[in-house]
Amino acid sequence: MDLEKPDLYRLSEDGRTLVLRAARCGACQALTFPMSPYGCTACGASVDQVSEEPMDSAAQLLTFITIYQKLVPTITPPCVVGEARLANGAIQEIMLDGAEDRFADDMPIVAVPVEVARKDGPVIACRFVPASEVS
Amino acid sequence: MAVLKDLRPVYVVGVGMHRYQFASDINYIDMGLTATRGALTDAGIPFEAVESAYVGCTGIGLAAGRIMFNHIGSTGLAVTQVENASASGSSAFQLACFEVAAGLRDCSIAVGVDKYGDQVRAAQKEGVGKLSDTANIPLIRYAIMAEHLKKAKGLTQEDLAMVASKNHTNASTNPFAQFQKPRTVEQILASTLVAGTTTSLMCTPRGEGAAAAIVCSEEGIRKLGIAGGKPIRVLSSVLQSEKPQVGRELPSVTVAQTVAEKAYAEAGITSDQLDVVELHDAFAIEEILYTETFGLAPKGEGQLFLRDGGSAIGGKCCVNSSGGLIAQGHPLGPTGIGQIHEIVHQLRHENGPRQQPDAKTAMAHMIGLGTIAIAHIFQRD
Repeated sequence: MDLEKPDLYRLSEDGRTLVLRAARCGACQALTFPMSPYGCTACGASVDQVSEEPMDSAAQLLTFITIYQKLVPTITPPCVVGEARLANGAIQEIMLDGAEDRFADDMPIVAVPVEVARKDGPVIACRFVPASEVS
Repeated sequence: MAVLKDLRPVYVVGVGMHRYQFASDINYIDMGLTATRGALTDAGIPFEAVESAYVGCTGIGLAAGRIMFNHIGSTGLAVTQVENASASGSSAFQLACFEVAAGLRDCSIAVGVDKYGDQVRAAQKEGVGKLSDTANIPLIRYAIMAEHLKKAKGLTQEDLAMVASKNHTNASTNPFAQFQKPRTVEQILASTLVAGTTTSLMCTPRGEGAAAAIVCSEEGIRKLGIAGGKPIRVLSSVLQSEKPQVGRELPSVTVAQTVAEKAYAEAGITSDQLDVVELHDAFAIEEILYTETFGLAPKGEGQLFLRDGGSAIGGKCCVNSSGGLIAQGHPLGPTGIGQIHEIVHQLRHENGPRQQPDAKTAMAHMIGLGTIAIAHIFQRD
């Protein structure tokens, strides 16, 4: 089965979690995510100075909410999204698997592969779950 | 480096609007010319006196402004179309001010006009994915922030509803507003839940409409014989874009603070002097956040300022007396100029039931996708 967003992640070796595809800049050493095809988003160095580096998908969940309306075609409400601090320190919006009662603020979370239906067939999406449920 | 106040003084001398409304069959030219003619009538000058035009629009297409002016007289004026997302009208106004201040023209018009467009965003063509499918939807980031503040600072869903109730009620006496019904906190809370604690009536509607503002130099005012009492001075106009997020504060909120502080410094005022503010309340939580970042309320106490009536008409500084984006509406291109329409009437003391007593100094603020923030300071002489 294909990954829904292969530019962002790949399966870990055991297939239970996802590894994020980050970028390390040779000029400023910043680790940024997602990779930019245009250069370093931290210092502006050209893309030839940037190389891919796998980044652990372990993160800290900061806050989360439920979306009740179909704001984009690819979500099925109710669904839960949140903000998380990723391994490189950046805060990003993420999608969580399951309902709100599965999560708590400041909880360690990790990205796992979750099968979702798309019009051309099922794909593997990136969803975050409590890290304690994976270890 | 020079700032607006160091250059020739610039005044708003005429404003006009076409009502904001849900998508209709009305041609954009009808709407744009209604606003333009309204501004010309307000200033008491003919279209031939206008030397340049900046036209803010996002959803009509190439050269919308020039085509529109075919129908009011092809005078040969300079025409520039401006797209800066939600801040298109604000940016058009800024460019008109800068041109007059620099001495290149004596009279310029900023027109915002928009229909509900196809909403194609450059972010969709960036070629860089996002972990969340809703990462490009501002509502979600603000709804998450509201949830964070609920836990961190005691913000309640009722506070968000109070913002929306205030702004809907303000708009009920505004003939140009998209929504013209007073709404209670209970009605706001009972509307459709969208995300987190945010309901549909806490969000701006989409729509269409037009607004126009004419700016002049002192020489232009004299030359065109514009009546005393009309001109409102533009003291400063500042635009910046966001920097990477630091901590929990949203970059759009951080840059709004930067822009406001720069606008105050350039104008030579402090936030205490503001009597009227029109700000970007696409979502109710924004009004609470911006009243803090603009210095109207201490950080973390925006909801207390609201609850105490500080942002009501007649309060310490009335916020969004027009109804704001939530209730006056947010057709994108015109929005920032519609704010100026309200402010000019406030500072002329001609705002009827929405008049802030003794209003002398005001600020208009908008956010544009990207994110950029823009603010202008106005003062009655």
